[in-house]
Amino acid sequence: MDRNSNIYTIIYAAILTVVVAVVLAFVHSSLEPKMEANEKLAKQKDILRSVGLVDLPDASAVYEKTISSFVIDASGKVVDGMDGEAVNVAAEFKKPAEDQVHPVFVYTADDGSKRLILPLYGNGLWDKIWGYIALEEDMNTIAGIAMDHKGETPGLGAEIKDNPKQYNDPFIGKTILDEQGNYVSVKMVKGGIKEPEHQIDAISGATITSDGVNEMLYRGLGYYLPYFNAAKSQTSLK
Amino acid sequence: MSETQVAQKSTTLFGKKERRLLTDPFNDNNPITVQVLGICSALAVTVAVKNALVMAVAVTLVTGFSNLIISLLRNTIPNRVRMIVQLVVIASLVSIVEMVLHAFQYDVYKQMSVYIGLIITNCILMGRLEAFAMANKPWQSLLDGIGNGVGYGAILIAVAFFRELFGKGSVFGFRVLPDWYVPNGLMLIPAAAIFLIGIIIWIQRSRNTKLVDIS
Amino acid sequence: MEYINIFIKASFVENMVLSFFLGMCSFLAISKKVKTAVGLGAAVVFVLTMTVPINWLISNYLLSENGIFHTDLTFLKLIIYIAVIAAMVQLVEMVVERFSPALYSALGIFLPLITVNCSILGGALFMDSREYELGEAAVFGFGSGFGFFLAIVAIAAIREKLRYSNIPAPLRGLGIAFIITGLMGLAFMSFIGIKL
Repeated sequence: MDRNSNIYTIIYAAILTVVVAVVLAFVHSSLEPKMEANEKLAKQKDILRSVGLVDLPDASAVYEKTISSFVIDASGKVVDGMDGEAVNVAAEFKKPAEDQVHPVFVYTADDGSKRLILPLYGNGLWDKIWGYIALEEDMNTIAGIAMDHKGETPGLGAEIKDNPKQYNDPFIGKTILDEQGNYVSVKMVKGGIKEPEHQIDAISGATITSDGVNEMLYRGLGYYLPYFNAAKSQTSLK
Repeated sequence: MSETQVAQKSTTLFGKKERRLLTDPFNDNNPITVQVLGICSALAVTVAVKNALVMAVAVTLVTGFSNLIISLLRNTIPNRVRMIVQLVVIASLVSIVEMVLHAFQYDVYKQMSVYIGLIITNCILMGRLEAFAMANKPWQSLLDGIGNGVGYGAILIAVAFFRELFGKGSVFGFRVLPDWYVPNGLMLIPAAAIFLIGIIIWIQRSRNTKLVDIS
Repeated sequence: MEYINIFIKASFVENMVLSFFLGMCSFLAISKKVKTAVGLGAAVVFVLTMTVPINWLISNYLLSENGIFHTDLTFLKLIIYIAVIAAMVQLVEMVVERFSPALYSALGIFLPLITVNCSILGGALFMDSREYELGEAAVFGFGSGFGFFLAIVAIAAIREKLRYSNIPAPLRGLGIAFIITGLMGLAFMSFIGIKL
């Protein structure tokens, strides 16, 4: 057979395409459950990290036992029949504010005390940053925070994750409302903290910019204010 | 396609020629320091030894199997779409590697992100397919692929070892240098990998003078 | 504003060659003379500017779950991207040959090489992982190409001068090229602090 004829080339290409597609589809479908489980586990670990539970050998089991979730809309009302895990925070971020929905994860400790875990998402200096922040039952005091950002050079940029003491611990105990109950969020500031309740000393040379984190916190927590206000007036946490 | 002399003389499975196929890429014909292939995608993963090791294994598997497959197909591939056929074979193997990592080594998969896909354009692959697999028998091609993959991986791991050792004071994530050593951030930035390779080339060429660039 | 930001990021702060080592093969192989470097650089700019938006369209309208097939075909991503790149390069080659023989003879030999230039596939994959919009993807493609152009022309100019320098014999050629690349990478790091 002539290896340079058009027909041979076309048939050859067609057979190759089909074989390759079938092989890849087979591998994909046989590994898919495993890949999805990995994605889910990674998200669960991030959520647990915000309440200080790191390096758990059985993160998935702990998550199932302690975390429940629901979804609120832009006006702070609970959306029925939606699971917090189903919300893609990055996709919501791009929608107009009034169409967004926001997941709320509730962590119940062994002693029955509860914490609210809220997702955060925003722009760093050059890249996206995201994370989870945990609030105490008073919906004011920060109980923990876990942040991450995308660094395309593998290994770099892992600092935020690897050094929780330096990056995340200073947030614990700060409050997001001032004494009059007005929303002020928390801020990272460089040099001279004036309001220790709401400000954190920004680490010089941090891989993510404090401005980006401040904006992300202010906006991210702001989404939940209507819900907080409604929940507080009913006195009990959902 | 004419067979080169490498394949013609050998009759045994591991004759002298076959051994050379495996060992040459370590020194006289190293893909990185002599052939200058494949620096593209993989250097960025040399911040930690573990990532470099995974990358080395992935590249070795892909070079070995793509060489084998192309060598098996070499007498059927239509000349005009040769490049595309090679690319499709490589891309499928890389996709499989990516999915396997995604399923079984999720942390590494997340850290290496786009660099796994970039194995496709790692020049070693196309280079070896064109230069060797298109003209040689499957068994020799497989060995050549593995040899080049390992020779490549050796440099990656060497670079990663020094970067992690001096950049973080650790190897494989375990702290090995005493506490008084302050990790040197310079080793973690991309340029350090390039410097290290330059130095490796310098050392190699001062020991092996026939490689020296005369021009 | 956003577009300028992406352009600066793609061409300076996260220069394909100097901070990600993408396209190093051709970067080192074809940077002995400024003239050829300009040719290769121009071809890369051209192909990146074309392929990144095209791959964006394919990834969003063909491969994603919301695309016309309504199934998640992302496992075919790598193959499709590389096929698009190979096809685009071929197409560009034919178009340039037909309409501008002068440019063709200048770029000619570099065009086929571009298919396996890592920075082209890298552009497509970064576009994917950074979740750009179409316009952003186009700007990103052009910016990355421009970054590659800058880097390769700069190193070619340096290497032309280096031929008259007294470098230790084992370091000549490839060795010194690596070290110069590293130094250029360090210089480009100074862009990291820029804020727009």
